[in-house]
Amino acid sequence: MTANNRSRNRALVNSVVLPMLFLTVALLGGLRVGAENRTFIFVAPPLVALLLGVLLMLLLVRGRLIRFHQWVGNELPPLTNVVHIWMLITLFFASAQAFNSVLPERGLLHWLFSFFFLWTLWNNQFSSFDPTRLLRSLAILFGTAFVLKHILLASLYSPEGGWLKRVAGTLLQGVSLGTLDAPYFAPATGYICFFTLTLYVVGLILLAFAGKDEADLVVHPVIEKYQLSATDRLAGRDAILDDDPEPVAKSERQLAGRDEASGDL
Amino acid sequence: MQAKTIQVVGLAFTIAYAVFIVWIYATEPRTFKEVAISAEVAAGTYHVDQEKFNSALDLFRREQFRAARDEWQRADPAQGDARTQFYIAYSFYREGWGRLYYDQQLFKQGLEAVNRAIALASASPLTVDDPNLGMHSAAELKAELEQGTERSWSDVNPLKVLRTRK
Repeated sequence: MTANNRSRNRALVNSVVLPMLFLTVALLGGLRVGAENRTFIFVAPPLVALLLGVLLMLLLVRGRLIRFHQWVGNELPPLTNVVHIWMLITLFFASAQAFNSVLPERGLLHWLFSFFFLWTLWNNQFSSFDPTRLLRSLAILFGTAFVLKHILLASLYSPEGGWLKRVAGTLLQGVSLGTLDAPYFAPATGYICFFTLTLYVVGLILLAFAGKDEADLVVHPVIEKYQLSATDRLAGRDAILDDDPEPVAKSERQLAGRDEASGDL
Repeated sequence: MQAKTIQVVGLAFTIAYAVFIVWIYATEPRTFKEVAISAEVAAGTYHVDQEKFNSALDLFRREQFRAARDEWQRADPAQGDARTQFYIAYSFYREGWGRLYYDQQLFKQGLEAVNRAIALASASPLTVDDPNLGMHSAAELKAELEQGTERSWSDVNPLKVLRTRK
């Protein structure tokens, strides 16, 4: 029964929860709310966001957050392969849209932000990461970009700000000969972006757990020894995990008994 | 529910969601109301508000063209009805028509509207049986609007003042 529940929960996470989360990020990542009439503005991801998405996917593979060889393979059932590939596609678009949500829409700032993202992701390709460190690093990367765009820059360009802010904004534009010009959106845009990035990071955390779950299959020595097929591995793993507590406890008790006996001697 | 069923249902559901997202980005609705209208258009259940259409027609016959256009735009917010778009184009034509010159801006807007009407009625040529109109087909109206936006030597012909508005 537990094995059944486990496989159903795994299917639910991989085929419903994760794609839904990532698709929602893809939907909201390009959504802005106009400052003047509070209407929706949908910004399609720029090419550079797609490039950043590709780099991030590579980083996720290198950081073992996506265990590609375990998610897609000859030994897995075709439907499972399709579900996993679909999930990876949604992850790619979510990544591109997550970048889209924190990139300024135009001007020099757009290229500056893009350059720093490219630089960071390119450097990270050559660093050693484990999933936890990678998750932390990505959360900080997106968090910093969010603060810069939706708090600092939005505040500088806000027409509702005080005179000091407006002077600073005007000076900044003047010094940069107008190249730092950025469109101003309603504050709701910042909230939407925050929600989007939170969803994205939650999705990545879930993905890390899902990947860990799948990775356990390979690590288990019994399964490794007998080289079972993927379906058998799942069944075997579930059976082992179901039966684990009692035999382990029993063997531990036996070992403890032996130790005590040898101690007495 | 078996894991396989969950996978199939999940895949179908998420693909439908992805199609919805692509559609949203393609149509770019500006409000939730526009989302609903676009959904009606996509589902084929969209209808023009007949009451507003008639009220606009009444204004059009009284030569209050701007008010008529406003009312037609409210009657057909999705710009999805060929007949309404034809009337909007006609209102631009009538307002822009002058004995000495044509208002180029209004004629260009009229041309856009008549092109929309033609595109919407692509299955068959669009004709409107209204005895108050001088032109009954979208093709005629388009030709008239195009002639109005073109510059030629006939523009300096003094006999031009004798022509009549259709």
